[in-house]
Amino acid sequence: MNPAESRPSSAPDTPPAPSTPGAQAVPDAPVRFGLHVPFRLRVLTALPFVLAAAVTPLLIALWSDRLPDPLATHFGLDGVPDGFTGPTAFAVLAAAVPLALGAAWTVFTHRSALWGAWLTSGLIGTLLGLVVRDNLDAATAADVRSPLSHLAIALGAGAVLALAGHGLSRLVPPEDATATGIRISPGAPRLDLGAGEAAGWSRATASAPLTALALLFLAGGVLAALLGPWPLLLLAVAVAVPGLALARVRVVVDRHGLTVRSTLFPRPRVHVPLAEITGADVREVRALREFGGWGYRVRAHRSGVVLRSGEALAVRRGNGREFVVTVPDAGTAAALLNTLAERDARL
Amino acid sequence: MLFRVDPASSVPLGDQIAACVRGALADGSAAPGERLPAARELADSLGVNVHTVLRGYQRLREEGLIELRRGRGAVVVPGAAAPDRARLVARLREAAAQARELGLTEEEFVELARTSLA
Repeated sequence: MNPAESRPSSAPDTPPAPSTPGAQAVPDAPVRFGLHVPFRLRVLTALPFVLAAAVTPLLIALWSDRLPDPLATHFGLDGVPDGFTGPTAFAVLAAAVPLALGAAWTVFTHRSALWGAWLTSGLIGTLLGLVVRDNLDAATAADVRSPLSHLAIALGAGAVLALAGHGLSRLVPPEDATATGIRISPGAPRLDLGAGEAAGWSRATASAPLTALALLFLAGGVLAALLGPWPLLLLAVAVAVPGLALARVRVVVDRHGLTVRSTLFPRPRVHVPLAEITGADVREVRALREFGGWGYRVRAHRSGVVLRSGEALAVRRGNGREFVVTVPDAGTAAALLNTLAERDARL
Repeated sequence: MLFRVDPASSVPLGDQIAACVRGALADGSAAPGERLPAARELADSLGVNVHTVLRGYQRLREEGLIELRRGRGAVVVPGAAAPDRARLVARLREAAAQARELGLTEEEFVELARTSLA
């Protein structure tokens, strides 16, 4: 508590001030740097991971007299086990992995990504639970078989939970810059646009190193799968396909806001609605120093589609976060975005 | 590339869109070989009909400034001459507008262009 405020203020005409200790530390500045994530969103993000962490230990405790010791916990392509773990150790591991992932998701959560949390936890929880189910009533762990169809079951469960997560995100109010009362600063770049004039800005941008890296990864995965265990191919595909999709993107600024999407697929995309935007400008981005690499990067107070170091369009959002995308001619895009956001706020 | 259209203007919307591409090519904000936004996407951005955008793209194709290919969409013609060609087309359109103001017929204008070539 601020010492100046420690005296009892019982005067009835004082405006109701926020009483949380943190609130006094933030001055009444036009731009808030505090990262505001609704508590409800954090709970909804953590919830599926807690459930996923509980599944396997519960199953192991429930079936303790019907499971072999050790359990078969890792399987080859043919469904024959090639890895074994004690029940207690597996229960601890199966709880720790979703909890650790859940902690990371809860820190960096976002309303539009809530479905991802439910998808991830659904996949992991189902896969781990199915492993225990495979071990049920087996004489020894070596007799256990795990069909590949379990992957499809896990994907199905993940998809259903992703839909549920997407539905639940409606319980969280969207961030709205107009609701926070933040206006675009008068010094920000503007475009001279007539009252009835419609405008849009569109630009494709590509990263050659990222394309090369993704293709290299894919080739390496194929090679590794031919010589070694097949999951290496899955891993390579899981890294290379998003990498390829991110290597060529189209950035669009129009009456809907800012949209960044791959030129290969229409979804997923990054979209910042006009109503969430509190300002846009151009700045130089250093991929490694600021974002620790290339691609879609998430940091504590900013996220970005970073394809190179250099000119980038930077957008401040009503929740205090910044979104950047490296794109040429970003100055025009920033000016148009400020103009359109201001026009949108006036309506 | 910046696109701006004014529905209140007497210039048809498709022509306004074509003029944006010509201008972007001339001032270097669009490069030879660059892909233009898909017609449907641009129509949604500007709040105009898809056919309006396609009319603009068709005009640019007739002027030899872009190539339209099924599946690949609209691409600015490759080669270093594209910006100069865009400038030439823009100036020609200006001249045509001036000729119309002077009351010249189509034949008279074409004849005038032919004499200036000789």
